[in-house]
Amino acid sequence: MKNNIRVERAIKNITQADLAEQVGVSRQTINTIESNKYVPSTVLALKIARVFSKPLEEIFMLEDRD
Amino acid sequence: MKSRFLFPHWCRFLGYALILAHIPVVVFKRTLGFDLSHGSVNDDLFNSHHVFFMTTTLLMAVGLFIVAFSKEKIEDEQISQLRLDSLQWAIYVNYLLLIISLVFTNDTEHILFLNLLVPLAFFIIRFRWVIFRLNSSLSREG
Repeated sequence: MKNNIRVERAIKNITQADLAEQVGVSRQTINTIESNKYVPSTVLALKIARVFSKPLEEIFMLEDRD
Repeated sequence: MKSRFLFPHWCRFLGYALILAHIPVVVFKRTLGFDLSHGSVNDDLFNSHHVFFMTTTLLMAVGLFIVAFSKEKIEDEQISQLRLDSLQWAIYVNYLLLIISLVFTNDTEHILFLNLLVPLAFFIIRFRWVIFRLNSSLSREG
């Protein structure tokens, strides 16, 4: 699974720490999600999508190998 | 996801204090040896040897237990996953060592001690190591 959280963050002009605080996780977790090292739970993915006011599929997408 | 059955964050320091407190007591006993019942073999429950062994072992075991199962500052779902992962590693290592020591020794008292110590100690080391790696990857990216 890949995601464009980094792009969305740049558009909204918020830092990893801001996003982490808004969804209630650590900055490390946001960082590892952005670099595709950690796959978030459905609840966390939905929370992130809500911060950017976009549907889930516009932020997280499946890759061919998934 | 909420992690249940974990001690508050400050308990970690209490746990480290308990582990540190038990070391000088054991060293003191080993070097000076205030072992009264050394000559006569005494198998009673709660003799001095048993009480000493029990208290120091309990101090250490409770300390390790509290350190292992206290919350992180921010306890989120990734931390829970790392915790679970480390726990699996700890059980693997424990049983591997247990099997090796069962085959190659017949010293049951030390096997018990090993079994008491290894899962928690290995869990703590592995868990702290992955968190350290997580933090250092963060500081590398800025």
